[in-house]
Amino acid sequence: MLRLITCQNATRLLDQRPDRALPWGPRASLWVHLRYCPYCQRYAKQTVLLAEWAKAAATTREHSGPTLSAAAKQRMRERLAAGG
Amino acid sequence: MTPSVPNPAQWLDRYGDELFRFALSRVSDTTVAEELVQETFLSALDGLATFRAEASERTWLFVILRRKIIDHYRRQARSTRVGLEEVEAGGPTEADFFNPENGHWTNAQAPVSWLNADAALEQQELHEVLARCQARLPAQQSAVFAMRFVEELSAEEICQELGLTASNYWVLVHRAKLQLRRCLEKHGLGKN
Repeated sequence: MLRLITCQNATRLLDQRPDRALPWGPRASLWVHLRYCPYCQRYAKQTVLLAEWAKAAATTREHSGPTLSAAAKQRMRERLAAGG
Repeated sequence: MTPSVPNPAQWLDRYGDELFRFALSRVSDTTVAEELVQETFLSALDGLATFRAEASERTWLFVILRRKIIDHYRRQARSTRVGLEEVEAGGPTEADFFNPENGHWTNAQAPVSWLNADAALEQQELHEVLARCQARLPAQQSAVFAMRFVEELSAEEICQELGLTASNYWVLVHRAKLQLRRCLEKHGLGKN
């Protein structure tokens, strides 16, 4: 039977979607909820964007961040010499 | 292809900066990133015998660093582990967002449009704001979010690493997302 769900439940289901295929019942309830709830429609898009931006931000920083300081390199050289 | 032979004396000069930037892109703390790089080199030294000549030395070091970063997330999550009952759905954090009586968005927290996201924040600024917002998340949520969406581990792997049930994991992901989007809106997203 199709169950009407709240925004709280709808957003929980939206955040589970990347990790599991929703069973038929919750999937249908979510589909119906998204037909009439503009806020959860926005959340559905934004939750995907958040994940994409987090990955993109980390990838950008991998290539454009600062380098090791001379002091840090020196400390590591000493530590590696002691450990090697 | 010439088999690669590890050359520990060259690691720091060849790969130090690249490994450091990678670590810093994940932990946002210079001291912690330096420690992760140092631990990577020390583990690599200990494990020289496990190095397989068909792999590149650089790839091997990055595999070790990624493992160190995941260990860091695990320590971070476990250092502030909250009781399971506090992670149950419907706890006080979600009550900030949803009306406890009917489960719908509260007026103050209902998502606004991000149609103008590109105009509101330059990409670099958006990335910086997002990093600051991630750093403000409770440690367990921050670790789960980073492991899932930055390191791209599966839910099963994260549950195994952090000793979480699937339902606790989903509550943590949900709360992290709710708080991140609120934090981004506070910092100007969707406001113009």
